[in-house]
Amino acid sequence: MRFNRSVAALLVGLVLVASIVLLAPRASYSRQDRDATLATASRQHPAGTDELGRDRLVRVSAAFLLSLAGAIAASAITTAAAAAVGTLAAFGPASVGWLAMLACDVFLALPWLFLLMMVRSALPLTTSPANSAAITFLVLAALGWPACARAVWRGALNLRNAEWMLHTRASGLRPVQIVRHAIPNLLPLLVPQFLVCIPAFVIAEANLGALGLGVGEPLPSWGGMLLELDNSAMLMQTRWVYFPVALLVVVLLLLDAIAVEVE
Amino acid sequence: MRLFRWLLLCASLILAVILADLCRAQAAPRKPGELVWTIGYDPKTFDPAKVDDQESEQVRYLTAGVLLRFNRLTQKVEPRLAESWKLSSDGKTITFRLRPGLEFSDGSSLTSRDVAWSIRRVLRKDTGAPVAEEFVSPADVTVDAPDAGAVIVHLPRRVIGIGKVFDEIAIEPAERPSEGRVTAGPFVVAEYRRSRFVRLRANPHYAAAGGAALPYASGIRLDVLENHEQEIRLFERGDYDLIDGVPPDYFELVQKKDPAAVRDLGPSLNTEQMWFNQAPNAPLPAWEKSWFESRDFRLAVSQAIHRADLARIAYLGHATPAYSFISPANSEWYDHQISAPHTDVAAARAALARTGFHLDGDTLQDSAGHAVKFSILTNAGNAARMKMATLIQQDLAALGMQVNVVALDFPALIERLMHTQDYEACLLGLENVDPDPNAMMNIWLSSSPNHQWDPSEKAPATAWEAEIDRAMDRQASSLSMTTRKQAVDRVQQIVADEQPFIYLVYPNVLVAASPHLKGVQPAVLEPALAWNAEDLRLDGQR
Repeated sequence: MRFNRSVAALLVGLVLVASIVLLAPRASYSRQDRDATLATASRQHPAGTDELGRDRLVRVSAAFLLSLAGAIAASAITTAAAAAVGTLAAFGPASVGWLAMLACDVFLALPWLFLLMMVRSALPLTTSPANSAAITFLVLAALGWPACARAVWRGALNLRNAEWMLHTRASGLRPVQIVRHAIPNLLPLLVPQFLVCIPAFVIAEANLGALGLGVGEPLPSWGGMLLELDNSAMLMQTRWVYFPVALLVVVLLLLDAIAVEVE
Repeated sequence: MRLFRWLLLCASLILAVILADLCRAQAAPRKPGELVWTIGYDPKTFDPAKVDDQESEQVRYLTAGVLLRFNRLTQKVEPRLAESWKLSSDGKTITFRLRPGLEFSDGSSLTSRDVAWSIRRVLRKDTGAPVAEEFVSPADVTVDAPDAGAVIVHLPRRVIGIGKVFDEIAIEPAERPSEGRVTAGPFVVAEYRRSRFVRLRANPHYAAAGGAALPYASGIRLDVLENHEQEIRLFERGDYDLIDGVPPDYFELVQKKDPAAVRDLGPSLNTEQMWFNQAPNAPLPAWEKSWFESRDFRLAVSQAIHRADLARIAYLGHATPAYSFISPANSEWYDHQISAPHTDVAAARAALARTGFHLDGDTLQDSAGHAVKFSILTNAGNAARMKMATLIQQDLAALGMQVNVVALDFPALIERLMHTQDYEACLLGLENVDPDPNAMMNIWLSSSPNHQWDPSEKAPATAWEAEIDRAMDRQASSLSMTTRKQAVDRVQQIVADEQPFIYLVYPNVLVAASPHLKGVQPAVLEPALAWNAEDLRLDGQR
C-alpha cells in the first residue's frame, strides 16, 4: 500500500508541476519564439523549443494534462456505461441480458482503430482543436465500454446469485432498489476497471495523434510531439525531442502501477 | 517479480519498435539494371491525356512518346518522334515530319494516323485534358495527316511557345489507348501495385534521337512513399538512386554524411501559395463566401503573413519570400517593378476595418457578428507546408482570425479541391515545368478547371479576372516579345493587387543523387534529376 501511495503522490506531483508550468506568467503552448527554433535548454526554455520556437516544457505539460484529463473523463464515461449495461444485463430479463451481451460482442468485433480514423476524418474542417480533442476522447469512450461491460456483467451475475441478494429479492424489493444495493458491491470491480482504462486511453490518443488524427495544432498532444521522433534530422540537432516520449512512458508506468495496486 | 514484468514489457516495446522499423525500411527487391526512386502518392491516372497531378505527370514524362521534348537543361525544344517541325510565318500552322520506322512498344508501327488521333483526343472537350487549355481555343484546332509521315496542326490563332505544348501530348496507338502500357517513349508501365510501386520497363522499340540504344536502365521502379524520413534512410542505404526534391530538414543531414550526394540549385520556378475558395457552388456559408470574395480580406491575410519567417523556419533558409507567380529565377519574365503588398499588420487591420470587420475581444468578427474562423487545408506528409500553415495560423491570430490547420492525404485533398469543393482555404505548391508563362494558361484562364479559387467559370466572375483572361490571351497570341512581357507584367500586377493566390515562398531546388548513378545532369526545371531518365544508369552498366 505504501508503494501505491508513493506512486500516486508522484503522479499528483507531476500534475502539480505541469499545472504550475502552465499557469506561470507568459507561459503559452502556442506562442512561437521564431528567433529560437529548436533551441536547447535555457533559463527561458528549460526543455528547449520545438522547430517553430514553441516552449517544449509548456507544450509537454499541456499535452500531459490534456491527455490525463481526457483519459480520466473517457474512462469515467466508459465505466459508467459498462456499469449500466453490465447490471442491466445481469439483473434484467434474460432476453435483455442476451441482447446487451450481443451488442458487446458486436462492438468488440469492430475494427476500432479504423472506426476512430473514419470518425475523426469525417469531422468538419472547422472543428476547433479543443473540440476535436473532446470528440476524440468521447469516441474512445464510446468504443471502450464493451470489454469493461463484460467484466461488470460477470461480477453482477455472481452478485445476483449471492445468498444475501436472494434474500433481498425474496423480501420483495423492487428492481431499482436491488440495483441500488448492488452498485456499491460492484465498486471493487468498477474502480480497477476505471483505473485500467486511463492508460489505455492515453496511449490510444497518442496513437491517433501520431497518425495525424488526434488533437489539431496548435493544441499540443503526445502523438503530435512523438512525430518529431520520426525526423532524424531533428534528432541530430537536439536530444530534447526525446523528452515527451520519456515523460509519456513514466506517466503510463505510474498509471498502470496504480491500477495494478488497486486491483 | 513486478520489476521483472516491467523490464519484460519495456524490452518487448523496444523489440517491437526495432522490428517495425526494419520492416518499414525494407524496399522491394531491385531487378537487374533497374533504377529506383519514389513518388509521393499513387498516380491518379495512367491515361496520359488526363494527367492532372504531379505523380501521374512523372509517369507520363517517363513513358510518353512525344513529338517534341522541352529539354530541361538547355530549355530548348528538341524533336523526338518528329524528325523535324516547322511553324508557318503566321504561327497558325505546324507541320511535323515523323521519323521513319517508328514503332510502339508492342512492335506496331507508329504513323501519322496515331499522331493525329492522339492530338485530337487531347483537344476533345470530353477528354478533359488540362493541356488542351494551352491551345487557347482547342475546339477550333484541326489536325490533318496528309500522308503516313506528316501531321499538320492548324491553329485558329497563333499561340506562343506552342512547341512546348507538344511535350505534354503522348502519342498513343490510334483507337486503343493503353494507359501507358503501349507507348513510344523510353519506358512503359509494366506493373502497378496500389500504394506500393509503379514498375516501368524499358521500351525495346524506343527510337532515341541520334540512334543511341537507350534507355540504359532496364526499368524504373517508382515506390509510392510519402514518408521522407524513410526515403532518406533508404537513399543513404543505397536502395534509392535519386531524390528529386530533398526536404530542407534533411538536406544538411545528408550533406554532413556525404557532401557530394546533395546539391542546392538555388530558387526554383515553383511557388508555394495559399488561396481561399471562391467557387459559388462551394458548400460554405454565405458569409464566409463574402469574406473570401473580398479583396480587402485577402489583402489583409497576405499582409499579415511574415514570409521571411516562412522561408527561414519552414525551409531552413532554402527558400525565398514570394509575391508573384513568376520566380526571380525566371529572369526573362519576372517583373522587378511589381508593387506587391508586403508584411504590414497595421495596414492589414486597416484593410479589414474598411470592410466592416471589427475585433470583439481577441476575435475578429464581420459586420454581421460572425467570428472569422476558417481552416487551411494542406497535404499530410509535407513538413514544410505543415510548418508554414502553423506559422500562418499564428500570424493570422494577430488579426483575430481563428485558423484550423488540417492535413489530408493527397487523394482526399484533390477530391475536395477538384470535385466537392468542400474547403475554405488551401495551402499547396505549384510546380512550373516551363519558364514561359504561356504554360500557366490552365491556371489563369477563368474557364479552366485548374483555376483553383473558382474553377471552370462560365464567364469571368469579376472584371479583374476578365482582364487576366485578356492579358493571357494577348501574351499567347502576340508576335512581339515586348507585348508579351507587358501582358504578363500586367497579370503579375493584377494578381498582386487582388491576391487570388497569396504567394508565400519560392523553394530552392534541393536534390540528391547516388554517387553510383551516372549520367546525372541536374536542372532547375522539374524533374530536376529524372528529366534525362533514359541516360541514367548505375555504375557498371553499359
